[in-house]
Amino acid sequence: MDRRLRDLADQLDAGLIARREFLRRAVVLTGGTAAGLAVLRRRASAQPKTKLRVWLFKSFVTAGNDVVARQIEAWAKERNVEVETDWATFGDREQKFVAAIEAGNPPDMAEMNLYGPMRYKAALRDATKIATDVASAKGGLLPFAERAMKLDGKFLAVARYSMTTVFFIRKDIMEAKGLKPPKVYDPDVVEFARKTQDPSKDLWGFGQTLNRSDDGDGFMSNILWDYGGGVWDKDGKPALGTTFLKQNAAALQFAVDTIQKHKIQPPGVMGWTDPSNNEAYMAGKLVTTNNGASLYYAMVSKKHELAANTLLVLTPGGPAGSFVGSSCYNWAIFQKTKHAELCEDLIRWVEDEKRFTEYLQVSVGQAGPVYKARVDNPYWKSDPNYDAIIQNILRCVNIGYPGPMTPAAAEVQGQKVLTDMAGRVVVGGLSAEAALKEAHARVEEIYKMRRT
Amino acid sequence: MATPAARLRASASLSRATLDLSLARVLGRDYRLGYLFVLPMAILVLALVAYPFGYAIYLSMTRKYVGVAPVWVGLDNYVRLTGDGFFRRAVANSFVFTFGSVAVKLVLGIAMALVLSARIRGRSFWTGVLLIPWVAPTVVSALNFLWIYDYSLGVLNYLLVRVLRLLPQGVGWLSEPGTAMASVIAVNIWRGFPFFGISFLAGMKAIPAELYEAAAVDGAGAFQRFFSVTLPGLRNILIIVTLLSTIWTFNDFQIVYILTKGGPGGATQVLPVFTYEIAFGAQRLGEAIAVALYMLPALAAVIIVLARYMRRGQRT
Repeated sequence: MDRRLRDLADQLDAGLIARREFLRRAVVLTGGTAAGLAVLRRRASAQPKTKLRVWLFKSFVTAGNDVVARQIEAWAKERNVEVETDWATFGDREQKFVAAIEAGNPPDMAEMNLYGPMRYKAALRDATKIATDVASAKGGLLPFAERAMKLDGKFLAVARYSMTTVFFIRKDIMEAKGLKPPKVYDPDVVEFARKTQDPSKDLWGFGQTLNRSDDGDGFMSNILWDYGGGVWDKDGKPALGTTFLKQNAAALQFAVDTIQKHKIQPPGVMGWTDPSNNEAYMAGKLVTTNNGASLYYAMVSKKHELAANTLLVLTPGGPAGSFVGSSCYNWAIFQKTKHAELCEDLIRWVEDEKRFTEYLQVSVGQAGPVYKARVDNPYWKSDPNYDAIIQNILRCVNIGYPGPMTPAAAEVQGQKVLTDMAGRVVVGGLSAEAALKEAHARVEEIYKMRRT
Repeated sequence: MATPAARLRASASLSRATLDLSLARVLGRDYRLGYLFVLPMAILVLALVAYPFGYAIYLSMTRKYVGVAPVWVGLDNYVRLTGDGFFRRAVANSFVFTFGSVAVKLVLGIAMALVLSARIRGRSFWTGVLLIPWVAPTVVSALNFLWIYDYSLGVLNYLLVRVLRLLPQGVGWLSEPGTAMASVIAVNIWRGFPFFGISFLAGMKAIPAELYEAAAVDGAGAFQRFFSVTLPGLRNILIIVTLLSTIWTFNDFQIVYILTKGGPGGATQVLPVFTYEIAFGAQRLGEAIAVALYMLPALAAVIIVLARYMRRGQRT
């Protein structure tokens, strides 16, 4: 019973107040308390849980997706926050971001790829404080990741992991032929492929599309760098068909020759899309191919017979060295969020080393390090194939190399200018120089547009 | 005596009354109520069609990047597109893709209708079977064809090389410019011809049987009956279906995007895919809308012809 009612009853018993007065005061007290409780209850229900919208990247490493979803769920429970997660794949993430930003309704935070912070810069919140906090707790960022996340002097995202490509080799076939892994494309990969392939059995030495795809575009970037060329010069100006014309022509010619002259690629390779080489490799039709660790994950997780017969090695190079384009998945917070602190708290939660290691353990090499301290994680010694992943990450360069990473460089990648260029030679019949000049004109146009 | 201002006011109210009277005579006494009834539809059309369309035209004349305010550039996007070789190739490919597809769909559609209108066993069953491509989701069909066309793992090369032994080695269906365009057209035909067939079948059922009987009595053979009775009887429906399919095929995105993404080397790049690439790959929204609107006059002409035929159908 309420203390005040008990006091009233005592007063009545003691004859200090009349019965009528007792009833009047009791009505006021109980009515007031009931009304107060009702108001409090209404106010309590009028304040719903804080809701956070988080967009995640749905990678091919499904076990990793499950882990991160579980970790976010646990965080939401711990902080008493309602989290609405949504997934974007390789194929639809840009459309989702563009639509949400243009509609003025982006999520609070999202997991983005390397280009995300640059592409959506205008809609993102300055993440310098949390990015530097997280980085300093992990020994600092690897240089490529810092350059990718830091734009105009401020961090627009918090780096998470790097999904690099490596060179896949059928170890059983290589050993049967008494060969060693190739170090450069020309002549090593060509000779390796010729010695190992058997077109009569539809087994091909090398599988690398030059068709419009992320795989094709990544290979074309790498091969231009391998030959000492590239799309951009060190100042970030177009150099595809000018400064680096000679080097780029040699690189492009080599790429085309793998199909037309050396005939080490399957005849349908120019029609391939991103998953095609994965399918062909797993079907036993390829001896070598370039791909991300997701292919290795697919084989290991499905206990595929080729998992044990696959060797991952450093991406082969060319006369100027061996280059690999970078990758840096990250967390970005949108300016429109009203819960920036919660977003930062969630980032700290999932990037906590214990939780990240849980994610790493199931990633089968996909979640490569972007922080110096994570390079030394014992996980990377648990499979000899992981060494190639680590070494490729440590030497990777960003798009725009040897110049800075710019919006124009991201757009050249987005428009698949390099694979269009290769396609113009392979199926359009242009010479390498003519295709380079045509592509250079597109690069110049993009450069001019992005500067104005 | 009235002042000039009062005279003016009186004259104005007189002309208003005269106008009201004339409108009432032409449109009926309750024509004001008519406006009221039309108003909700007019508002809907303005809000859902006219405003977005007008805004799209405005955006096509701007430089618009994601998350950044548009900057007015006038006709700059259209001028630049006109000189862009990749855009011109996409326009040419779009016409090849559209007319190549529609022509074959038309022929196959008529054949399908003729076969299904004949007295064959299990006609309903075959009608259902032939409608499957039309009712199956395009994405599913296109993904299946991606596998069918695959050089190493596809069923088409397997059949041609291993089973039927018609070819010494497989064909890279999606990797050569000629076969890539033919392959995407084939998928569009496979998907679209049942619509032609079923529409023609409905049209043929409306042709009076007496006309065929009279033609037969006059000694007309099957070909003569087809050209003198069936085709004239199908004329309106044939034009409507062809025009509708032309619009749909011209705007078809899924088949080309899933099968080739416009490759190899731009050999199958069509305008919808090009628009998509500019919008989401390059993220130049203004220019992407300009690409989409560039072919509007041609499509508008088709739509006007189509609308005229459809209205004629209503009147008859």
